[in-house]
Amino acid sequence: MSALAQVDAKPSMAWKRLRSALYFVFPLLCLVFIWEFTVRIFSVHPGVFPGVGAVLKAGAESIANGSLFLHIGASLARVLVGTILAVLVGVPLGILMGVSPGVSTILTPLFRFFSVLAGIAWIPIATLWFGYGFGAITFVIFNAVFFVVAYNTLLGVASIPPQLRNAAWSLGANRWDMLKEVLLPGALPNIVTGIRTGLGFAWRGLIAAEMIATNLGLGYMLFLARDFYRTELIVFGMIVIGILWLLIDRLVLAPLERRTIERWGLVR
Amino acid sequence: MKSLTINHLSKTYFDPYAAKHVTAVQDVSLDVPEGEFVAIVGPSGCGKTTILNMIAGFLPASGGDIIVDSRKVSGPGPDRGVVFQSHALFPWKTVLENVAFGPKMRGVGLKEREEIARDYLALAGLSHAAERYPNELSGGMQQRVGVVRALANEPAVLLMDEPFASVDAQTRMTLQEELTRIWQARRPTILFITHDVPEAVFLANRVVVLSKGRVLEEVEIDLPRPRSWDAMMDDERFKTLSARVLQLVRAA
Repeated sequence: MSALAQVDAKPSMAWKRLRSALYFVFPLLCLVFIWEFTVRIFSVHPGVFPGVGAVLKAGAESIANGSLFLHIGASLARVLVGTILAVLVGVPLGILMGVSPGVSTILTPLFRFFSVLAGIAWIPIATLWFGYGFGAITFVIFNAVFFVVAYNTLLGVASIPPQLRNAAWSLGANRWDMLKEVLLPGALPNIVTGIRTGLGFAWRGLIAAEMIATNLGLGYMLFLARDFYRTELIVFGMIVIGILWLLIDRLVLAPLERRTIERWGLVR
Repeated sequence: MKSLTINHLSKTYFDPYAAKHVTAVQDVSLDVPEGEFVAIVGPSGCGKTTILNMIAGFLPASGGDIIVDSRKVSGPGPDRGVVFQSHALFPWKTVLENVAFGPKMRGVGLKEREEIARDYLALAGLSHAAERYPNELSGGMQQRVGVVRALANEPAVLLMDEPFASVDAQTRMTLQEELTRIWQARRPTILFITHDVPEAVFLANRVVVLSKGRVLEEVEIDLPRPRSWDAMMDDERFKTLSARVLQLVRAA
């Protein structure tokens, strides 16, 4: 009895997760229901918009022949490589800007200008530089993530209380120690937030870029299906793009962000 | 010699609002011999924190010398440990890692520096908090860790900038008693900044009264140790000395 009462008062973590997942999925299921309902009662032509069954069938097909995984693999590889490169360049630059007012003064106008351009505006010139395919698209991803990560790193470094740096100096830290022990960990929550935001932009840019500059990837999958009037494959691809992003964000990025921020009590 | 001497220290800066040069510290000379506990008191704006920041090396001096351990210093260094008004602990490090930070910077190996840190934590009765993060501690505990972190680096001089100003009155008294106990046990050389007259008299061997950037007077505090607030409350010597210093500060 007392055990039961305790469960009632404090639902377990697993149950809480399941419940919030259900809350998340329920509206989406409603949408699927309305979609199928609308297609049926108005007898929508499949060339305009497909029914749920057709989309599921197209999905099963692309899974069975393996083409879906080929496209997903290509897209994810580009995102991964572009993001890693962007973090490797963006974080040091952001720290440099955060530590040196001179560097920050010179680079800030450039950042303002290029952050507007970040994304698919680079595709035409990127395809001239790298040709169609992996290079050009990875470059677009890099662009989307790089500016956000560098700027957030700058903010992170600037938000470290000056007392902490003074404390480190007076405990005998040298410049390298300062970077490793104070600036990087102090800016980490902002860096992770930057990666999360930047990847959100990058994912959108990726799909657009893949429609133009390649013959593999989720964006290309949509574009190709259009040439054959296969609306069911287009809609399936759109669903995959949405779900894949939600999975990356919910299962990788959000927990990572939460952990760095909550553990240190740096709720901002 | 783990001592601190400052000669004719001064600080002037340009105030853009008043459009003129302002003198914050003027020709201050002071001697803190090895193992002594000196407190600087004065009203806010008297330049006491500016003096501490110059000694710590966070602020360049406009004139004069700062000599620590027989060496002239400029810029921050591990020979001058600092305890800040806000604890200034690294929030991403555990209490143990915070206290072991100084030894780590000196290149002491992991096992040995954790041993040092545990030793100092035990001295302040903080052993149970070693694995916790600073944000999980109360304000009083955070300040204790701040003191211990500075001590564990074994600086020639310990500089304390109103370290107990932001904790509640009861905790403050406990922290003051602990500090005198630790000072007696290890005899570090301490320069303590405060605006709280009873605190200065309770803690120090000598109280320096500062006014408008100048040393007004130095008062020897020859109260017996160990000192406790229970004993001091009714101590005539304590009352007389406090009254005297308070008078100086109010005249300042």
